[in-house]
Amino acid sequence: MAETEYSTMARLSVDTIWDFVKEMDNWAPLLTGYQAHEKQSETDSLWTVKGDVGVLARVVKFKVHITEWNGPERVSFELEGVNELLKGQGVFIMQPYEEEPAGAASAQRKNVFTRVVESLLRFFLRLFRGRPERAAASAAGPGEGWAQLTFKLRIDPGGPMAPMINAMMKPAMEVVAEDLSNRIIAQLEAQQGSKA
Amino acid sequence: MASKPARWDLEVDVVAVGSGLGAICSAIVAHDLDQQVVVLEKAPKLGGLCAYGGGEVFVPNNHKMAEIGATDSDEAGRQYLDFLSAGFADPKLLGKLLDNARPAVEYFEKEAGVKWIAVAGLPDYYYPEAPGTHPGGRYLSVDLFEGSQLGEWQHKTYLTPHIPLGVLHRELYAWGGLAKVTEWDYELIAERITNDQRSSGPGMMGYFIKAAMIDRGIPAYVETPVRELITENGRVIGVRAERAGQDFFVGARRGVVLAIGGYDMNKEMARQYEAMPDWNSAAPPYLDGDHMVMGGEVGAAVAAVPPTNLAMFFGYNIPGEEHDGKPLYRTSWECGCPHAIWVNRAGKRFCDEAFYKDYQPRVRMWDGQNQEMPNYPPFLIFDQNYRDRYPLGSFMPGTELPEELVKQANTPRELAEKLGIDGEQLEATLERYNRFAEKGEDPDFGSGSHPWSVRLTGDESYPNPCVGPLNKSPYYGLRLVPVGVGINSHGLRTNAHAQVMHVRSNPIPGLYAVGNSAALLDLGGGYQSGTSNMRAITWGYLAGQHLGRKA
Repeated sequence: MAETEYSTMARLSVDTIWDFVKEMDNWAPLLTGYQAHEKQSETDSLWTVKGDVGVLARVVKFKVHITEWNGPERVSFELEGVNELLKGQGVFIMQPYEEEPAGAASAQRKNVFTRVVESLLRFFLRLFRGRPERAAASAAGPGEGWAQLTFKLRIDPGGPMAPMINAMMKPAMEVVAEDLSNRIIAQLEAQQGSKA
Repeated sequence: MASKPARWDLEVDVVAVGSGLGAICSAIVAHDLDQQVVVLEKAPKLGGLCAYGGGEVFVPNNHKMAEIGATDSDEAGRQYLDFLSAGFADPKLLGKLLDNARPAVEYFEKEAGVKWIAVAGLPDYYYPEAPGTHPGGRYLSVDLFEGSQLGEWQHKTYLTPHIPLGVLHRELYAWGGLAKVTEWDYELIAERITNDQRSSGPGMMGYFIKAAMIDRGIPAYVETPVRELITENGRVIGVRAERAGQDFFVGARRGVVLAIGGYDMNKEMARQYEAMPDWNSAAPPYLDGDHMVMGGEVGAAVAAVPPTNLAMFFGYNIPGEEHDGKPLYRTSWECGCPHAIWVNRAGKRFCDEAFYKDYQPRVRMWDGQNQEMPNYPPFLIFDQNYRDRYPLGSFMPGTELPEELVKQANTPRELAEKLGIDGEQLEATLERYNRFAEKGEDPDFGSGSHPWSVRLTGDESYPNPCVGPLNKSPYYGLRLVPVGVGINSHGLRTNAHAQVMHVRSNPIPGLYAVGNSAALLDLGGGYQSGTSNMRAITWGYLAGQHLGRKA
């Protein structure tokens, strides 16, 4: 099982994010390696994505089935490989920003070194992979009027090679989750900026 | 050709062009002989062709054989390489290669920390029939290499997309070889991938790159293609490379080593030199034949060995599979397993499918009566027995095969129609093949008769590990295409010091070629797994020595 979770915040309302996320045509092209998707019903779709597992890129086709449609807070789905032995689940969670309890903040402070290392690692990953950075999110905040978008994804490869595929996919999945969340927010921020 | 610049952007003693095994070996030895060295690499990562390979180095009578209880002799090794060369080798170069292969691998063990392991139980290709062959121990591979030792280069070194990372040779064979790939210990492999413990070609290159870039501090520039050699009074004195779209002039006080592999990615060059209608490659997508162009510009002689006996395979591209943005071609090993055969357009078998040294010249066979290659292209045919047990490339049993690549039908005749081959003859071919295959026999082409094939791809639970009937519907088939592995028939002619020879038969001062950039005159008309790496290490070692000699 390869699992990843990424959260990002923006000066956007939950409803704004939901309006964008609820329509998959909006964000599908923002998925790393996206090639095509086809809506088959209100809850089912077929996706084609070129996945990068470090040493090679491979086209993966998978079915997505929406299992929970609970706007504006949450949409959950399951996925199943068409040409690969894999299953998985994912969820988008949108929630207004709330001040963290003092204890939590303190716990985070304890891990400041870890967080610095993580952000440095992310910076070098972007440098290495040539991916854009979101400027707006880091400019200020978070605070009142902000919302948080969280994307969780879990994939369970099947077959005898599953442990190896897991090991190869994990680093790539972390980047995919982070990229998708950031790109959604970046696009909404850009739209909001152009309206203003 | 570029002229000498008013000022070099960088001036060193030795410029190694490329970052595969030959380049890094020459860089290490030259450095150890007090030369200032730089490595210039066209690709975005280091490692070259070696990092894509199985990481075998063929060294007869090597110093590690005793550790696995094997004995050998220089004379036996010489007899075998003479047999392989089939009279097409330059005896002086063959002798120099054989005499220096063992000292070279010992040098890199002692001075560069390479942890060699002799591979037990993997015989020479032509064992036991050919003179001087050995049942196992001449192949050296490396112990696991910790990728974290590469520092800044850890994520800028190539890993092979062809072989599961982190599997040692002895494990591969203990787990049943390629036929038993579904039964390998993937928990262990996953642990090694997570910890970046490298084996095979990436592991070998890990040791060498660490020795060069980390331990010795030899600078390497990636994404820095060398475009031209710069000469003065007939001597190569530097190169014009490019960095970020700008000229980058590097002076070489002692010499330039061309170690940039072959020309697999240069379709036109490959078509002309390899005499095949199409050419694809399993190698890193940077083998553009630059050595042939740059060498030609300074009068270098090109030499060739017969193309009929090289390391050339047939295979396919799984639609959508890419490496560095280019289609990834895989060599087809399926035909070495039971329940799989090759046929031609006429629906007839024509070779021992399990032994690529047999199928390659038979595919090349020319029919002068009809002015065609009757066995080109070959078609891989297999049945559900095969799909129940073995993978196709990276498609494990139980997964759907892509329709764009693999045709499927309920009968052989229907399959033949989909593939555009003779259906009646395919039925007859399967009827005859199956009759003998039930007994584990292949009287027509002797599939499974080479211990090397059996070891690599055979399923030893069968009476004949490479043979099994095709009698379970559905039937599958695909057209195969030529797939090179970066080892070509043509290259720059070199002498016993790895110096490139001029068309007028004198060495070109300051210019060397090693690895697959140098013509295979040291091997002649034959090939054996591990000889490409043996050549890269040995000639890299000799080039480095010659560059570092006292003036």
